[in-house]
Amino acid sequence: MNTSEIKNLMISSLNDDADTIEVPGRLEKEGISYNFSHNFGDKVLNKLFSAGLSIKREVEFVKYMNFAFYRIALTGVAAIVVLLISIFIIEGSLSLNSFLGLSDNYDESIVCLLTGN
Amino acid sequence: MINKSYNVTEEKELVKASLSGDKKAFSEIVNRYQKMVARTVKGMLGDSVFAEDIGQEVFINLYYSLPGFRGESKLSTYIQKIAVNLTLNEIKRRKRFFSMFSHKANNEMHEFEIADHDTEERKEASEIVTKALLAMDPKFRIILTMRMLQGYSTKETAEILEVPIGTVLSRLSRAQEQLRNILIKM
Repeated sequence: MNTSEIKNLMISSLNDDADTIEVPGRLEKEGISYNFSHNFGDKVLNKLFSAGLSIKREVEFVKYMNFAFYRIALTGVAAIVVLLISIFIIEGSLSLNSFLGLSDNYDESIVCLLTGN
Repeated sequence: MINKSYNVTEEKELVKASLSGDKKAFSEIVNRYQKMVARTVKGMLGDSVFAEDIGQEVFINLYYSLPGFRGESKLSTYIQKIAVNLTLNEIKRRKRFFSMFSHKANNEMHEFEIADHDTEERKEASEIVTKALLAMDPKFRIILTMRMLQGYSTKETAEILEVPIGTVLSRLSRAQEQLRNILIKM
């Protein structure tokens, strides 16, 4: 089968009235086949029976953690950005004093604040 | 379907034996259906190492969900549904991951290896099929995989994808249009 025949076969397999039952066999004859490695079955059984029940839970836990990490990380980044913007709007700059909330305080007022006099 | 249709009673016995802890029975299920799963997973994800991991996950999921298998549908349909769901989830996960960290989502997703083939013509044919599949939108790619690689009818495709037949029909024509555009450029 040449390339244009392969292309036609692919397109015709999507006709709604096409009988596709023979298509996979024809493609396999042309060397278009999909297989897992020869010891695939053993790998599955090893995963299932050597690691026991914990494996599925472990896989799911890692998946959930992965998902939770992105959510938390994105929320954290968004919160930091909002905080920076609000500091900039309130204080007019992003200096260290602005972060510490000391931009409008003079030394005397800090001493008064700390000593109560 | 390309795979041999197994006796339903025999299938039920295999499921029953697997549920009672018979490893050989489950191994038989894996051996019978691994090629079918490979076509779905590798057709959708490309011939990458990740595809084999997803394939293993399909059977691990099957093992743990066997108690919920009531035998209303064929075992092959049940396995196919697991394979489709896991594969589509993997595509979504990769898309989300790569869209966060890089603009190379499609390139990374489309990494694949072409298996050794005996002639150049066969290699070329395999490349065309794989490249065209991977260039398609996942919701159309799954339709092409079901039709072309698995040989399912419209009704069977609808059952596996759990969508109405009308949806499959409309996706078939849109998938065909997209495939035509892709193949013209190849």
